[in-house]
Amino acid sequence: MKLLGGIYAIWLREVKRALRDRGQLIGGVSRPILWLLIMGIGLNPYFRGEVYGEVRFVIPYTYVQFIFPAIIMLNIMYTSVQSAVSVIWDREFGFLREVLVSPMPRWAVLLGKILGGTTIAVLHGSLVLVLARFANIPMGWLNVVQGLALMFLLAFGLTSFGIIIANRVRSFEGFGVFSNAVILPLYFTSSSIFPLDPALTRAQTAVLYPDWLIFLVSINPLTYAVDAFRGTFIGFNQFDPMLGLIIMGAMAVGFFTLALIDFNRA
Amino acid sequence: MTPRPVPSPSSEAGPAERASNISVRGVSKRYGRTLALDDVSLEVEAGRLFALLGPNGAGKTTLLHILSTILRPDSGVAEVAGVNVLTNPLDARQRIGMVFQEPSLDDRLTVQENLNFHGLVYGMSLADRRRRIEEMLELVELSDWREHLARQLSSGMKRRLEIARGLLHEPRILFLDEPTVGLDAQSRERIWMYLSELRARENLTIVVTTHYLEEVEYCDAVCIIDRGKVLAEGSPEELKAAHGKEFLRATALNAEAADRIHARHPEAIRSGNSLVIEVKDAAFAPAFLAAFAGELETVSIDRPSLESVFLTLTGRDLRDKKAEPRDIVRAAGQRGEASTG
Repeated sequence: MKLLGGIYAIWLREVKRALRDRGQLIGGVSRPILWLLIMGIGLNPYFRGEVYGEVRFVIPYTYVQFIFPAIIMLNIMYTSVQSAVSVIWDREFGFLREVLVSPMPRWAVLLGKILGGTTIAVLHGSLVLVLARFANIPMGWLNVVQGLALMFLLAFGLTSFGIIIANRVRSFEGFGVFSNAVILPLYFTSSSIFPLDPALTRAQTAVLYPDWLIFLVSINPLTYAVDAFRGTFIGFNQFDPMLGLIIMGAMAVGFFTLALIDFNRA
Repeated sequence: MTPRPVPSPSSEAGPAERASNISVRGVSKRYGRTLALDDVSLEVEAGRLFALLGPNGAGKTTLLHILSTILRPDSGVAEVAGVNVLTNPLDARQRIGMVFQEPSLDDRLTVQENLNFHGLVYGMSLADRRRRIEEMLELVELSDWREHLARQLSSGMKRRLEIARGLLHEPRILFLDEPTVGLDAQSRERIWMYLSELRARENLTIVVTTHYLEEVEYCDAVCIIDRGKVLAEGSPEELKAAHGKEFLRATALNAEAADRIHARHPEAIRSGNSLVIEVKDAAFAPAFLAAFAGELETVSIDRPSLESVFLTLTGRDLRDKKAEPRDIVRAAGQRGEASTG
């Protein structure tokens, strides 16, 4: 019971800090608008292929519909990783010590912190849902609930990942470089802005996309996360629907464990 | 493994029975090639205001970090309030309050939120938190500031808030690491005022590190530490008696009188008609007066000061008479903020 109170306190602090940071909120709102309303709508007409003179859509969705689930993931990626900055902040400005001399075990401190970051990331992810009608995506309650659960799972893993990196980075500047060098490459190679299969058969894929790109996309765990989001929101899966769930679950457990090992050592 | 200590904070009878002493036995800590603490042993009785005095880098902060379970010693045993900090760190943390040298508030939270956070993390009930936050804010005179963000406070106020926070969970021992560094004289005095008030009210053991000699005078017991070793321990009076030197300053009426005194006391330091003579025993001053009373313009005795104690023990002055660069920077930062008040 005492422990729950402590975890709650740490969670509450993370959430309050994030909500009081205007810049982060502005980013969370402007990013999906930019990607969805400008890039998405702009590329909408080109998202189809011409096969033997016959114009047909590559997949039976518009481009805006196709990238909508990926933009949810992008917003979660930025916010989760950003929340790890609070770890560097706490270390630099001494607040970490206040927590380290408290009678809370380390794992509870870490859990509170990650849950706080996760909450904010899920919040930013669901900001994208507000734009669903502009993307022409019907949104039922079931979709929303299922989507929120997936967002939570992904955000938990990514926040833990951010904290692992933050433990190894000594400065804010270093972290800024990191987040740009990692977030966008991971995002672009997750089959977020183009389908893995531009045509409808394997043979055509090999012709159209180079092997190295297909390789990168297929080893990127986020590919499967995006796939799970697509399955939920537009009913389109490139892989086994369970695969995304399993990989996100593994990320959450694996990264949390690693972060805990780090934190216990610190 | 030592057995778990039986009494829990709530089940104890009266404040009189609290044995909140600190015991350090043979603690050593090495950072690379520097020996930060060299076989340090210490005992602090319950209810004391205890000072660790020494120059920067003497090992004071290292010792405090070991006692507050942040750091593990390489060897030795440390106990706070009867709990071994090495085998039972979580229990030990519940019983101690800590005020760090560097500020450790969340400056994006309000005064009240900072305190409430602390209460929750230390497992306090809602009713306890309400009552204690009220009491502590009153004590450090910040009741009117509860809704302000911590960053809006002056550094003196921040330090007071940290003291309030350190005491919120009713610890038996409060550690303060250089609580007055970087503060102006008025704020420093206030902090000492709170500390003595607290000790009377809460039956608290307070351990303070400092390198300000004048502040040590407020304490019951002082431990002088330098280069990781305990050099002396005792009340300020005891230390002065044991290690301080007493000096007699006399101004003779004229040069002949001064010559006569100098002839009798060749070890005296003379400048013009003034002489400074080391007082060796209690009989010295009366004998001196009996001999020269008629030939003196003024005479005074300098009681031994802790400064002279420190000088005698370490063979040098406290290293940091001048402000460190960090203090200067910090002080400059403070001037930009609200006034200390």
